[in-house]
Amino acid sequence: MFGRKIREEDVLRALRQVVDPDLHRDIVSLGFVKNLRIEGSVVSFDINLTTPACPVKERLREEARRAVAQLDGVREVRVNLTAEVRPHAALDRSALAGVRNIVAIGSGKGGVGKSTITVNLAAALCTSGARVGLLDADIYGPAIPLMLGHQQHAQVRGNRILPAEHHGLRFISMGLFVSGDKPLIWRGPMAHKALQQCLFDVEWGELDYLLVDLPPGTGDVHLTLAQSVPVTGAVIVSTPQDVGLVISMKTLRMFQQTNVAILGIIENMSYYICSHCGAREEIFGHGGVRRASEELGIPFLGEIPIDTRIRRQADTGVPIVLADPTSPVAAAYREIAERLAAQISIVNYQTAPLRIEEVSI
Amino acid sequence: MNAHASVRPSAIRKIGAAEIQILWSDGHASTYRASYLRRHCRCALCVDELTGRPVLVPEVIPDDLTFLGVELVGQYALHFRWSDGHSTGIYPFAHLRALCPCEHCAGTSSRA
Repeated sequence: MFGRKIREEDVLRALRQVVDPDLHRDIVSLGFVKNLRIEGSVVSFDINLTTPACPVKERLREEARRAVAQLDGVREVRVNLTAEVRPHAALDRSALAGVRNIVAIGSGKGGVGKSTITVNLAAALCTSGARVGLLDADIYGPAIPLMLGHQQHAQVRGNRILPAEHHGLRFISMGLFVSGDKPLIWRGPMAHKALQQCLFDVEWGELDYLLVDLPPGTGDVHLTLAQSVPVTGAVIVSTPQDVGLVISMKTLRMFQQTNVAILGIIENMSYYICSHCGAREEIFGHGGVRRASEELGIPFLGEIPIDTRIRRQADTGVPIVLADPTSPVAAAYREIAERLAAQISIVNYQTAPLRIEEVSI
Repeated sequence: MNAHASVRPSAIRKIGAAEIQILWSDGHASTYRASYLRRHCRCALCVDELTGRPVLVPEVIPDDLTFLGVELVGQYALHFRWSDGHSTGIYPFAHLRALCPCEHCAGTSSRA
Protein backbone atom coordinates (compact mmCIF):
# COMPACT_ATOMS: atom_id res chain seq x y z
CA MET A 1 0.00 0.00 0.00
CA PHE A 2 2.97 2.28 0.49
CA GLY A 3 3.83 4.27 -2.60
CA ARG A 4 0.38 3.98 -4.21
CA LYS A 5 -0.58 7.23 -5.87
CA ILE A 6 -3.59 8.98 -4.32
CA ARG A 7 -5.93 10.32 -6.97
CA GLU A 8 -7.76 13.65 -6.65
CA GLU A 9 -11.07 12.13 -7.70
CA ASP A 10 -10.85 9.54 -4.92
CA VAL A 11 -10.33 12.28 -2.35
CA LEU A 12 -13.30 14.24 -3.73
CA ARG A 13 -15.46 11.12 -3.76
CA ALA A 14 -14.62 10.53 -0.09
CA LEU A 15 -15.44 14.16 0.74
CA ARG A 16 -18.85 13.85 -0.92
CA GLN A 17 -19.87 11.77 2.11
CA VAL A 18 -19.55 14.89 4.28
CA VAL A 19 -22.89 16.70 4.35
CA ASP A 20 -23.51 20.20 5.71
CA PRO A 21 -26.38 19.64 8.18
CA ASP A 22 -27.90 23.08 7.55
CA LEU A 23 -27.76 23.16 3.78
CA HIS A 24 -28.42 19.40 3.34
CA ARG A 25 -25.82 19.05 0.61
CA ASP A 26 -22.33 17.59 0.52
CA ILE A 27 -19.37 19.90 0.89
CA VAL A 28 -17.97 19.11 -2.57
CA SER A 29 -21.10 20.03 -4.54
CA LEU A 30 -21.47 23.12 -2.32
CA GLY A 31 -18.03 24.20 -3.56
CA PHE A 32 -16.60 24.33 -0.04
CA VAL A 33 -13.48 22.26 -0.85
CA LYS A 34 -10.62 24.44 -2.09
CA ASN A 35 -6.84 24.18 -2.65
CA LEU A 36 -6.74 20.40 -2.70
CA ARG A 37 -3.11 19.24 -2.69
CA ILE A 38 -1.74 15.71 -2.69
CA GLU A 39 1.94 15.45 -1.80
CA GLY A 40 3.06 11.85 -1.47
CA SER A 41 0.92 10.41 1.30
CA VAL A 42 -0.16 13.80 2.67
CA VAL A 43 -3.51 15.25 1.58
CA SER A 44 -4.31 18.87 2.43
CA PHE A 45 -7.27 21.08 1.53
CA ASP A 46 -9.36 24.03 2.72
CA ILE A 47 -13.01 23.87 3.68
CA ASN A 48 -14.38 27.28 2.81
CA LEU A 49 -17.45 27.75 5.04
CA THR A 50 -20.30 30.22 4.58
CA THR A 51 -19.58 31.98 7.87
CA PRO A 52 -16.72 32.10 10.37
CA ALA A 53 -19.43 31.69 13.04
CA CYS A 54 -20.38 28.25 11.66
CA PRO A 55 -21.75 26.17 14.57
CA VAL A 56 -20.68 22.83 13.03
CA LYS A 57 -17.22 23.73 11.75
CA GLU A 58 -15.30 21.33 14.01
CA ARG A 59 -17.70 18.52 13.15
CA LEU A 60 -17.23 19.13 9.41
CA ARG A 61 -13.46 19.26 9.84
CA GLU A 62 -13.42 15.95 11.72
CA GLU A 63 -15.79 14.19 9.29
CA ALA A 64 -13.74 15.38 6.32
CA ARG A 65 -10.49 14.34 7.93
CA ARG A 66 -11.84 10.88 8.74
CA ALA A 67 -13.35 10.34 5.27
CA VAL A 68 -10.03 11.09 3.54
CA ALA A 69 -7.90 9.23 6.10
CA GLN A 70 -9.71 6.00 5.17
CA LEU A 71 -8.35 6.10 1.60
CA ASP A 72 -5.54 3.77 0.67
CA GLY A 73 -2.12 5.34 0.90
CA VAL A 74 -3.12 8.36 2.99
CA ARG A 75 -0.85 8.87 5.94
CA GLU A 76 -1.82 12.40 6.93
CA VAL A 77 -4.79 14.73 6.29
CA ARG A 78 -4.50 18.47 6.84
CA VAL A 79 -7.82 20.33 6.91
CA ASN A 80 -7.72 24.12 6.96
CA LEU A 81 -10.97 25.93 7.80
CA THR A 82 -11.62 29.20 5.98
CA ALA A 83 -14.81 31.22 5.67
CA GLU A 84 -16.36 33.49 3.15
CA VAL A 85 -19.79 34.92 3.92
CA ARG A 86 -21.89 34.66 0.74
CA PRO A 87 -23.84 37.78 -0.20
CA HIS A 88 -27.62 37.82 -0.23
CA ALA A 89 -28.71 37.31 -3.84
CA ALA A 90 -30.39 40.66 -4.29
CA LEU A 91 -27.75 42.85 -2.64
CA ASP A 92 -25.60 44.67 -5.15
CA ARG A 93 -26.79 48.26 -5.02
CA SER A 94 -23.78 50.48 -5.51
CA ALA A 95 -23.96 52.37 -2.22
CA LEU A 96 -24.04 49.14 -0.24
CA ALA A 97 -21.93 47.15 -2.70
CA GLY A 98 -19.56 45.90 0.01
CA VAL A 99 -22.35 44.80 2.38
CA ARG A 100 -23.18 41.10 2.02
CA ASN A 101 -26.12 40.75 4.39
CA ILE A 102 -28.50 43.17 6.06
CA VAL A 103 -30.17 41.70 9.13
CA ALA A 104 -33.01 43.53 10.89
CA ILE A 105 -33.43 43.10 14.65
CA GLY A 106 -36.94 43.89 15.81
CA SER A 107 -39.26 43.44 18.75
CA GLY A 108 -42.94 43.79 19.46
CA LYS A 109 -42.47 46.31 22.24
CA GLY A 110 -39.77 48.38 23.86
CA GLY A 111 -37.74 47.33 26.88
CA VAL A 112 -37.13 43.74 25.86
CA GLY A 113 -33.37 44.32 25.61
CA LYS A 114 -33.17 44.44 21.83
CA SER A 115 -30.23 46.85 21.68
CA THR A 116 -28.24 44.90 24.29
CA ILE A 117 -28.81 41.71 22.31
CA THR A 118 -27.87 43.41 19.03
CA VAL A 119 -24.61 44.80 20.42
CA ASN A 120 -23.58 41.47 21.94
CA LEU A 121 -24.51 39.48 18.81
CA ALA A 122 -22.48 41.92 16.72
CA ALA A 123 -19.53 41.49 19.08
CA ALA A 124 -19.88 37.69 19.01
CA LEU A 125 -19.98 37.60 15.18
CA CYS A 126 -17.00 39.93 15.12
CA THR A 127 -14.88 37.80 17.46
CA SER A 128 -15.57 34.78 15.21
CA GLY A 129 -13.79 36.67 12.45
CA ALA A 130 -16.68 38.24 10.52
CA ARG A 131 -16.75 41.89 9.47
CA VAL A 132 -19.71 43.41 11.25
CA GLY A 133 -21.53 46.73 11.07
CA LEU A 134 -24.27 48.06 13.28
CA LEU A 135 -26.94 50.54 12.32
CA ASP A 136 -28.82 51.95 15.29
CA ALA A 137 -32.13 52.81 13.66
CA ASP A 138 -33.94 53.15 16.96
CA ILE A 139 -34.25 56.87 16.38
CA TYR A 140 -36.53 57.32 19.33
CA GLY A 141 -34.07 56.00 21.89
CA PRO A 142 -30.66 55.40 20.37
CA ALA A 143 -28.60 53.45 22.91
CA ILE A 144 -25.84 51.81 20.94
CA PRO A 145 -23.18 54.57 21.22
CA LEU A 146 -23.50 54.34 25.00
CA MET A 147 -23.30 50.55 24.99
CA LEU A 148 -20.19 50.61 22.82
CA GLY A 149 -18.53 53.40 24.78
CA HIS A 150 -18.25 55.76 21.84
CA GLN A 151 -20.28 58.94 21.84
CA GLN A 152 -18.39 61.30 19.57
CA HIS A 153 -20.25 63.05 16.79
CA ALA A 154 -20.34 61.50 13.35
CA GLN A 155 -17.41 62.33 11.08
CA VAL A 156 -18.08 63.53 7.57
CA ARG A 157 -15.68 63.27 4.65
CA GLY A 158 -16.82 65.02 1.48
CA ASN A 159 -20.46 64.05 1.13
CA ARG A 160 -20.02 60.69 2.89
CA ILE A 161 -20.52 59.89 6.58
CA LEU A 162 -17.80 57.79 8.21
CA PRO A 163 -19.03 55.12 10.60
CA ALA A 164 -17.60 55.13 14.11
CA GLU A 165 -15.24 52.24 14.84
CA HIS A 166 -14.81 50.67 18.25
CA HIS A 167 -14.16 47.11 19.48
CA GLY A 168 -13.68 46.14 15.80
CA LEU A 169 -17.28 47.07 14.95
CA ARG A 170 -18.33 49.77 12.52
CA PHE A 171 -21.45 51.57 13.61
CA ILE A 172 -23.71 54.50 12.94
CA SER A 173 -26.39 55.70 15.26
CA MET A 174 -28.88 58.46 15.07
CA GLY A 175 -27.44 59.17 18.51
CA LEU A 176 -24.22 60.30 16.82
CA PHE A 177 -26.08 62.99 14.88
CA VAL A 178 -27.47 64.77 17.93
CA SER A 179 -26.33 65.70 21.42
CA GLY A 180 -26.92 63.14 24.15
CA ASP A 181 -29.70 64.63 26.22
CA LYS A 182 -31.90 66.04 23.46
CA PRO A 183 -34.87 63.83 22.72
CA LEU A 184 -35.58 63.13 19.08
CA ILE A 185 -38.98 64.29 18.03
CA TRP A 186 -39.35 63.42 14.39
CA ARG A 187 -42.22 62.95 12.08
CA GLY A 188 -42.40 59.94 9.77
CA PRO A 189 -40.81 61.54 6.69
CA MET A 190 -37.81 62.70 8.74
CA ALA A 191 -37.27 59.23 10.15
CA HIS A 192 -37.51 57.85 6.61
CA LYS A 193 -34.88 60.29 5.38
CA ALA A 194 -32.57 59.65 8.34
CA LEU A 195 -32.62 55.88 7.82
CA GLN A 196 -31.96 56.22 4.10
CA GLN A 197 -29.03 58.47 4.89
CA CYS A 198 -27.66 55.88 7.35
CA LEU A 199 -27.94 53.20 4.67
CA PHE A 200 -26.78 54.98 1.54
CA ASP A 201 -24.58 57.90 2.66
CA VAL A 202 -22.41 55.97 5.10
CA GLU A 203 -19.03 54.60 4.04
CA TRP A 204 -19.75 51.06 5.23
CA GLY A 205 -16.98 49.42 3.23
CA GLU A 206 -16.77 45.61 3.20
CA LEU A 207 -19.14 43.96 5.70
CA ASP A 208 -20.30 40.38 6.10
CA TYR A 209 -23.20 41.38 8.32
CA LEU A 210 -24.89 44.72 8.86
CA LEU A 211 -27.21 44.44 11.86
CA VAL A 212 -30.00 47.02 11.98
CA ASP A 213 -31.42 47.72 15.43
CA LEU A 214 -35.00 48.76 14.69
CA PRO A 215 -37.31 50.83 16.88
CA PRO A 216 -39.82 48.69 18.81
CA GLY A 217 -43.09 47.76 17.18
CA THR A 218 -44.04 48.32 13.58
CA GLY A 219 -43.73 51.65 11.89
CA ASP A 220 -42.20 53.96 9.34
CA VAL A 221 -38.62 52.86 9.91
CA HIS A 222 -39.44 49.18 9.35
CA LEU A 223 -41.28 49.94 6.16
CA THR A 224 -38.51 52.21 4.90
CA LEU A 225 -35.95 49.49 5.53
CA ALA A 226 -38.01 46.79 3.77
CA GLN A 227 -38.68 49.11 0.83
CA SER A 228 -35.18 50.53 0.42
CA VAL A 229 -32.92 47.49 0.58
CA PRO A 230 -33.16 43.73 0.12
CA VAL A 231 -33.03 42.59 3.75
CA THR A 232 -31.58 39.08 4.14
CA GLY A 233 -33.88 38.47 7.07
CA ALA A 234 -35.16 39.59 10.44
CA VAL A 235 -34.62 38.48 14.02
CA ILE A 236 -37.28 39.04 16.65
CA VAL A 237 -36.35 39.58 20.29
CA SER A 238 -39.03 38.76 22.81
CA THR A 239 -39.45 38.23 26.54
CA PRO A 240 -41.24 35.07 27.74
CA GLN A 241 -44.28 37.04 28.82
CA ASP A 242 -44.60 39.28 25.78
CA VAL A 243 -44.77 36.46 23.25
CA GLY A 244 -48.15 35.25 24.42
CA LEU A 245 -49.51 38.64 23.52
CA VAL A 246 -50.24 39.75 20.02
CA ILE A 247 -47.44 42.31 19.79
CA SER A 248 -44.60 40.07 18.67
CA MET A 249 -46.96 38.46 16.18
CA LYS A 250 -47.70 41.88 14.70
CA THR A 251 -44.01 42.49 14.08
CA LEU A 252 -43.72 39.02 12.61
CA ARG A 253 -46.59 39.59 10.22
CA MET A 254 -45.22 42.90 9.09
CA PHE A 255 -41.96 41.25 8.06
CA GLN A 256 -43.86 38.45 6.34
CA GLN A 257 -46.03 40.93 4.42
CA THR A 258 -42.92 42.64 3.09
CA ASN A 259 -41.35 39.25 2.19
CA VAL A 260 -38.54 39.57 4.72
CA ALA A 261 -37.42 36.10 5.81
CA ILE A 262 -37.68 35.41 9.55
CA LEU A 263 -34.25 34.14 10.63
CA GLY A 264 -35.40 33.31 14.12
CA ILE A 265 -36.58 34.48 17.49
CA ILE A 266 -34.57 35.04 20.69
CA GLU A 267 -35.95 34.84 24.23
CA ASN A 268 -34.42 37.53 26.42
CA MET A 269 -34.79 37.78 30.22
CA SER A 270 -35.44 34.06 30.17
CA TYR A 271 -34.60 33.48 33.83
CA TYR A 272 -32.60 35.02 36.67
CA ILE A 273 -29.85 33.36 38.64
CA CYS A 274 -29.49 34.86 42.10
CA SER A 275 -25.95 36.14 42.57
CA HIS A 276 -26.08 35.19 46.27
CA CYS A 277 -27.54 31.71 46.42
CA GLY A 278 -27.45 30.59 42.77
CA ALA A 279 -31.18 29.78 42.72
CA ARG A 280 -32.82 30.06 39.34
CA GLU A 281 -35.93 32.26 39.21
CA GLU A 282 -38.13 32.26 36.12
CA ILE A 283 -39.49 35.73 36.67
CA PHE A 284 -41.51 36.07 33.46
CA GLY A 285 -42.15 32.35 33.04
CA HIS A 286 -39.75 30.45 30.85
CA GLY A 287 -39.91 28.68 27.49
CA GLY A 288 -42.86 30.62 26.03
CA VAL A 289 -40.83 31.83 23.09
CA ARG A 290 -39.55 28.36 22.21
CA ARG A 291 -43.10 27.00 22.24
CA ALA A 292 -44.35 29.87 20.08
CA SER A 293 -41.50 29.40 17.62
CA GLU A 294 -42.34 25.71 17.27
CA GLU A 295 -45.99 26.52 16.62
CA LEU A 296 -45.08 29.13 14.04
CA GLY A 297 -42.33 27.08 12.41
CA ILE A 298 -39.69 29.73 13.07
CA PRO A 299 -36.14 28.84 14.16
CA PHE A 300 -35.57 29.33 17.89
CA LEU A 301 -32.12 30.92 18.21
CA GLY A 302 -31.70 30.67 21.98
CA GLU A 303 -32.27 32.34 25.32
CA ILE A 304 -30.42 34.92 27.39
CA PRO A 305 -30.89 35.11 31.17
CA ILE A 306 -31.27 38.24 33.25
CA ASP A 307 -27.80 38.96 34.57
CA THR A 308 -26.81 42.21 36.22
CA ARG A 309 -23.38 41.94 34.57
CA ILE A 310 -24.97 42.23 31.10
CA ARG A 311 -26.52 45.52 32.13
CA ARG A 312 -23.40 46.73 33.92
CA GLN A 313 -21.20 45.97 30.92
CA ALA A 314 -23.63 47.69 28.59
CA ASP A 315 -23.52 50.78 30.80
CA THR A 316 -19.72 50.87 30.84
CA GLY A 317 -19.43 50.59 27.06
CA VAL A 318 -17.88 47.11 26.75
CA PRO A 319 -20.40 44.38 25.81
CA ILE A 320 -20.15 41.31 28.07
CA VAL A 321 -19.16 39.11 25.11
CA LEU A 322 -15.93 41.14 24.94
CA ALA A 323 -15.51 42.03 28.63
CA ASP A 324 -15.98 38.51 30.01
CA PRO A 325 -15.77 36.06 27.10
CA THR A 326 -15.56 32.98 29.34
CA SER A 327 -18.79 33.73 31.22
CA PRO A 328 -21.83 31.49 30.58
CA VAL A 329 -23.76 34.48 29.27
CA ALA A 330 -21.06 35.24 26.68
CA ALA A 331 -21.18 31.59 25.63
CA ALA A 332 -24.98 31.85 25.25
CA TYR A 333 -24.55 34.90 23.00
CA ARG A 334 -21.94 33.12 20.88
CA GLU A 335 -24.25 30.13 20.40
CA ILE A 336 -27.08 32.40 19.28
CA ALA A 337 -24.71 34.23 16.91
CA GLU A 338 -23.66 30.90 15.38
CA ARG A 339 -27.24 29.75 14.90
CA LEU A 340 -28.10 33.12 13.37
CA ALA A 341 -25.14 32.93 10.98
CA ALA A 342 -26.25 29.41 9.98
CA GLN A 343 -29.80 30.64 9.24
CA ILE A 344 -28.41 33.49 7.12
CA SER A 345 -26.39 30.99 5.08
CA ILE A 346 -29.50 28.84 4.61
CA VAL A 347 -31.59 31.79 3.38
CA ASN A 348 -28.84 32.80 0.96
CA TYR A 349 -28.74 29.32 -0.56
CA GLN A 350 -32.50 29.23 -0.94
CA THR A 351 -33.20 32.71 -2.28
CA ALA A 352 -33.16 33.15 -6.02
CA PRO A 353 -32.36 36.72 -7.04
CA LEU A 354 -35.42 38.66 -8.11
CA ARG A 355 -34.92 41.08 -10.98
CA ILE A 356 -36.89 42.59 -13.81
CA GLU A 357 -35.99 41.40 -17.29
CA GLU A 358 -36.61 43.78 -20.17
CA VAL A 359 -37.91 42.10 -23.30
CA SER A 360 -38.25 44.29 -26.37
CA ILE A 361 -40.85 43.55 -29.03
CA MET B 1 -55.63 37.99 -1.35
CA ASN B 2 -54.46 35.83 1.57
CA ALA B 3 -54.81 32.71 -0.54
CA HIS B 4 -51.73 33.85 -2.45
CA ALA B 5 -49.73 35.25 0.46
CA SER B 6 -46.93 32.69 0.12
CA VAL B 7 -46.75 32.69 -3.68
CA ARG B 8 -43.71 34.57 -4.96
CA PRO B 9 -42.67 35.63 -8.43
CA SER B 10 -40.00 33.41 -9.95
CA ALA B 11 -39.52 35.73 -12.94
CA ILE B 12 -40.66 39.25 -13.82
CA ARG B 13 -40.55 40.45 -17.43
CA LYS B 14 -41.33 43.85 -18.86
CA ILE B 15 -42.42 43.15 -22.41
CA GLY B 16 -42.21 46.20 -24.65
CA ALA B 17 -43.48 49.43 -23.11
CA ALA B 18 -46.99 48.45 -22.05
CA GLU B 19 -46.93 44.91 -20.67
CA ILE B 20 -45.64 43.09 -17.58
CA GLN B 21 -45.47 39.34 -17.25
CA ILE B 22 -45.00 37.57 -13.91
CA LEU B 23 -44.21 33.88 -13.57
CA TRP B 24 -45.24 32.67 -10.10
CA SER B 25 -43.61 30.08 -7.87
CA ASP B 26 -46.70 27.85 -8.20
CA GLY B 27 -46.30 27.77 -11.97
CA HIS B 28 -49.05 30.26 -12.81
CA ALA B 29 -48.30 33.04 -15.31
CA SER B 30 -49.94 36.49 -15.28
CA THR B 31 -49.80 39.15 -17.97
CA TYR B 32 -50.85 42.71 -17.19
CA ARG B 33 -51.38 45.76 -19.42
CA ALA B 34 -50.00 49.06 -18.10
CA SER B 35 -53.45 50.66 -18.32
CA TYR B 36 -55.06 47.79 -16.38
CA LEU B 37 -52.60 48.13 -13.46
CA ARG B 38 -52.92 51.93 -13.50
CA ARG B 39 -56.71 51.62 -13.12
CA HIS B 40 -56.23 49.36 -10.10
CA CYS B 41 -53.82 51.69 -8.30
CA ARG B 42 -54.50 51.71 -4.53
CA CYS B 43 -52.36 54.72 -3.62
CA ALA B 44 -53.78 57.56 -1.54
CA LEU B 45 -54.31 59.72 -4.63
CA CYS B 46 -56.43 57.05 -6.32
CA VAL B 47 -58.34 55.62 -3.34
CA ASP B 48 -59.58 57.83 -0.49
CA GLU B 49 -57.51 56.92 2.58
CA LEU B 50 -60.30 57.33 5.12
CA THR B 51 -63.34 56.00 3.30
CA GLY B 52 -61.64 53.56 0.93
CA ARG B 53 -63.78 54.96 -1.86
CA PRO B 54 -62.17 55.15 -5.32
CA VAL B 55 -61.09 58.64 -6.40
CA LEU B 56 -59.69 57.59 -9.75
CA VAL B 57 -62.19 57.35 -12.60
CA PRO B 58 -61.00 54.32 -14.61
CA GLU B 59 -62.30 55.76 -17.88
CA VAL B 60 -59.82 58.67 -17.83
CA ILE B 61 -56.91 56.23 -18.20
CA PRO B 62 -56.11 55.75 -21.89
CA ASP B 63 -55.76 52.17 -23.12
CA ASP B 64 -52.42 52.92 -24.75
CA LEU B 65 -50.78 54.00 -21.47
CA THR B 66 -47.16 52.81 -21.17
CA PHE B 67 -44.62 52.18 -18.41
CA LEU B 68 -41.79 54.69 -18.10
CA GLY B 69 -40.23 52.55 -15.41
CA VAL B 70 -40.72 49.37 -13.39
CA GLU B 71 -38.77 48.81 -10.17
CA LEU B 72 -38.65 46.32 -7.32
CA VAL B 73 -39.67 47.58 -3.89
CA GLY B 74 -37.49 45.65 -1.45
CA GLN B 75 -38.50 42.06 -2.05
CA TYR B 76 -42.24 42.29 -1.77
CA ALA B 77 -43.68 44.66 -4.34
CA LEU B 78 -43.36 46.47 -7.68
CA HIS B 79 -43.41 50.19 -8.28
CA PHE B 80 -44.45 51.67 -11.64
CA ARG B 81 -43.95 55.01 -13.31
CA TRP B 82 -46.57 55.54 -16.01
CA SER B 83 -46.66 57.73 -19.09
CA ASP B 84 -49.44 59.86 -17.52
CA GLY B 85 -46.96 61.01 -14.86
CA HIS B 86 -48.47 58.92 -12.04
CA SER B 87 -45.95 57.10 -9.81
CA THR B 88 -47.16 56.84 -6.23
CA GLY B 89 -48.58 53.31 -6.15
CA ILE B 90 -46.87 50.30 -4.60
CA TYR B 91 -48.12 46.89 -5.74
CA PRO B 92 -47.32 44.06 -3.29
CA PHE B 93 -46.90 40.69 -5.04
CA ALA B 94 -49.94 39.24 -3.25
CA HIS B 95 -52.04 42.13 -4.61
CA LEU B 96 -50.65 41.64 -8.12
CA ARG B 97 -51.53 37.97 -7.95
CA ALA B 98 -55.06 38.80 -6.85
CA LEU B 99 -55.28 41.19 -9.81
CA CYS B 100 -54.32 38.52 -12.36
CA PRO B 101 -56.64 39.17 -15.32
CA CYS B 102 -56.38 35.70 -16.88
CA GLU B 103 -59.56 33.84 -17.65
CA HIS B 104 -59.16 31.43 -14.74
CA CYS B 105 -58.36 34.03 -12.04
CA ALA B 106 -60.64 36.85 -13.18
CA GLY B 107 -63.69 34.93 -12.08
CA THR B 108 -62.38 33.84 -8.68
CA SER B 109 -60.32 36.61 -7.10
CA SER B 110 -61.71 39.59 -5.29
CA ARG B 111 -60.84 43.00 -6.67
CA ALA B 112 -60.10 45.42 -3.87
